[in-house]
Amino acid sequence: MLDGLLTFFASHHAIRAEKTLRETGFDAKLIAGPKELSPNCGTAVRFEYDRRDEAMPLLAARHVEVEAVHRYAPRTDAWRASR
Amino acid sequence: MTIYFDHAATSWPKPPGVRAALDRYFEEAGGNPGRSGHRMSIAAAQAVEDTRDLLAELLATPDPSRIAFTKNATEALNIAIYGSLRPGDHAVTTGIEHNSVMRPLRHLESLGLELTVVPTAPDGTLEAARIAAPIRPETRLVATVHGSNVMGSLLPIDEIARICRDRGVPYLVDASQTAGAVPIDVEALGVDLLAFTGHKALLGMTGTGGLYVRPGLAIEPLLRGGTGSRSDQETQPDFMPDAHESGTLNVAGIVGLGAGVRHLLATGVYEIEVHERQLTARFVDGAGGIPGVTVYAPADAKQRCGVVSFNVDMLSPSEVGTILDRDFGIMSRVGLHCSPGAHRTIGTFPTGTVRFGFGLSNTLAEVDTALDAIAEIAAWSAAPHA
Repeated sequence: MLDGLLTFFASHHAIRAEKTLRETGFDAKLIAGPKELSPNCGTAVRFEYDRRDEAMPLLAARHVEVEAVHRYAPRTDAWRASR
Repeated sequence: MTIYFDHAATSWPKPPGVRAALDRYFEEAGGNPGRSGHRMSIAAAQAVEDTRDLLAELLATPDPSRIAFTKNATEALNIAIYGSLRPGDHAVTTGIEHNSVMRPLRHLESLGLELTVVPTAPDGTLEAARIAAPIRPETRLVATVHGSNVMGSLLPIDEIARICRDRGVPYLVDASQTAGAVPIDVEALGVDLLAFTGHKALLGMTGTGGLYVRPGLAIEPLLRGGTGSRSDQETQPDFMPDAHESGTLNVAGIVGLGAGVRHLLATGVYEIEVHERQLTARFVDGAGGIPGVTVYAPADAKQRCGVVSFNVDMLSPSEVGTILDRDFGIMSRVGLHCSPGAHRTIGTFPTGTVRFGFGLSNTLAEVDTALDAIAEIAAWSAAPHA
């Protein structure tokens, strides 16, 4: 379940984070970064929040700099379910 | 189906001639312009100068050498700002500038520049006289945007240019959103410096842009290096465009840009302006009537370019942008658009807005489709379950 969100200072890191997570067996998805969580970067990565302790060392090992980890369930999912 | 309303970030699709020109260039030219003198080098130099000629026609300057190629508008603005100002000088700008203007100015301010930031009206429009008031003997530059990249307001660059000319202060125009979308005659306007990007309304590729420098005005280069000219000397040439074109140019990009400009000159910039103004008016009038939607654009249609912002009550810009993309195939840009001052002006800082940037390829039917989508989203947002 994509109930977590990683935000970044630069989209360069967001793109690499998603690539790293996918390559290492995570479910991950690039999205437009919610500005209410981070003004810094236009791109964020949705991922599995329960696996955050597993994900963070992997990202650090690839020199991916994460701004913050959030629990995040966008209301846009509810929009989709309503249609 | 894709509805591309992000021309303010970069135009899409490019005219077919852009790809064809690149194919020709890679097959036939391919050398380094102005460096080697063999036929392939000469062909590349000719291609670069063809694009420069087309840009001169577009901007109505009789001397193409007054246009230097850069990698984007940001580089052109940096050349103009750092080339004009020193610590201790005074500069005037507006409260709705893009960070490509504000960050260099704020950096220079930290080194001792005195900076006056003139606020615009809440809709991003500006009375030119407000620029005149802070000008003083130490003022070395007035820098303003032409068309806002957030709410699409057009500033009166003709009147501001007149004020600057009367006061003997160079005037820099950031035409990132307007070059190719709004007719610009640099000589008639009397602007001193004008920065443009190649990949928006000029229909060329990313990695291209340029700076117009008025005849008689010399500014310090930002970069120094090889130009293929005066190679016997270890000092930078002081003539245009070489003064500001050190290092090998992005020839492929410039070739593509030439094809883009050729296409828009054939279409007519005035016709493009009318087209985009119609699209914007349809959107502003339509969205303004949807309950729960706030539109940010000048009330006067003549003071708008093809850029407009909006928000939907109780939804963040990124939520609206996500739904528009995922469920309706409509491309927008959400957030602060690198222009925090513009968002403070319209009261949308720090969450920002959803921005549509209309372009040549868009139609009124696409605007109507987007209005229906936004009405549906706004109705859902207002319903108790949302």
